[in-house]
Amino acid sequence: MWRSVLDGRRLTFHLAGINNQNFIMRDEETGSWWQQMTGMAIQGPLAGRALERVFHDELTFRTWRRERPGGRVLRPGTDSAWVEFSEDWERETAQYPVRVRRKLDSLLPPRTVIVGVEVDGVRKAYPLSAVERQSPLHDRFAGGTIVLVLDADGRSLRGFRAELDGQGVELFRQPVADSLRLVDVGTASQWDFTGTAVAGPLAGRQLTPILVHKDYWFNWKTYYPETLLYALGSR
Amino acid sequence: MLGMLLAAGVSFMVVAVPVWLIRPFTPQSEAGLGVSWTFKHWSPAFTLVLLVLGLGLVATVWRGASGWGRALALLLLSPLAVTAWFARQNHFEWMFAPLADPNFARVAEADWVGHDEMVLAVAQDEDAAAYPVRQLAYHHLVQDTVGGIPIVATY
Repeated sequence: MWRSVLDGRRLTFHLAGINNQNFIMRDEETGSWWQQMTGMAIQGPLAGRALERVFHDELTFRTWRRERPGGRVLRPGTDSAWVEFSEDWERETAQYPVRVRRKLDSLLPPRTVIVGVEVDGVRKAYPLSAVERQSPLHDRFAGGTIVLVLDADGRSLRGFRAELDGQGVELFRQPVADSLRLVDVGTASQWDFTGTAVAGPLAGRQLTPILVHKDYWFNWKTYYPETLLYALGSR
Repeated sequence: MLGMLLAAGVSFMVVAVPVWLIRPFTPQSEAGLGVSWTFKHWSPAFTLVLLVLGLGLVATVWRGASGWGRALALLLLSPLAVTAWFARQNHFEWMFAPLADPNFARVAEADWVGHDEMVLAVAQDEDAAAYPVRQLAYHHLVQDTVGGIPIVATY
């Protein structure tokens, strides 16, 4: 997700190459090539320049609808290639969980789904399975604490800085049936999936969201070789 | 004739090399990307020049040529025409049609998205947009404006 304005000029993009999910796009205005994963121009007159990231969440449609009942949804295309793709997609995603290939010399199987986070220029990857087991998952790195949270559906994912007014916030999940409720240890305020306190002394306060990416480990590691990796099993 | 063959060969290479280097499921080297970009960037002009030269060559031999000679000349001209045409195409957009004019539906109308389907959600001020991952995986990129901010949604 990228802001498509650079130096005050709006850029118009076209698909220019495919490499799984890290495709290349070309802007009409200069013909430069941009890497989808990093938002950086890799060839052409703008090579070396970077697009600005746009904050976004990856949520289930159910969660998004609940939070944004007045929102708008992208309509699908109607061409036959799309219809075919859509039907294949249906079949492939029905094969969840994804099969994993093992490689002896890597930290994680390459196709392990991870949640990638960046804080103050430092990157860290968290196996999705760890997040699923521990949600809300707290971790200290890059001089701060973050918390990764899954919604009650177990699929919508968000990340936040686990800090307010310079103090750490530790959250526990309340066993509530159909919606996510978190409680913080310090004040016993209740928090929802948007990181907003809905009840208690901190009611109305908002945790700072951080951008999180779901990706395959091999892909994340290729583009961010210096990434840290959350140690499985550690608290 | 040799000149025509040479021109056709060069024209083909200029167009084919980037197609070969930028193919799915293979990593691209820095050098490969550089070569591909340069070839792709200059191929429309380059192939057109070769085509014009080819037309010129055909024109010079046309008068004195036999029926077979003329047919051969036209045959050798066709790869130059094809590559000149292909240089101006975006074959990736044949495989994954771009969404020229993104249209949106209100939440209540969005009956093609399942409850458990993933969407990428962007919000700015009061404008909240959802891009179903399935659709983004096909188009690869969708250009939109959210809360006044021009964005390119990618997956």
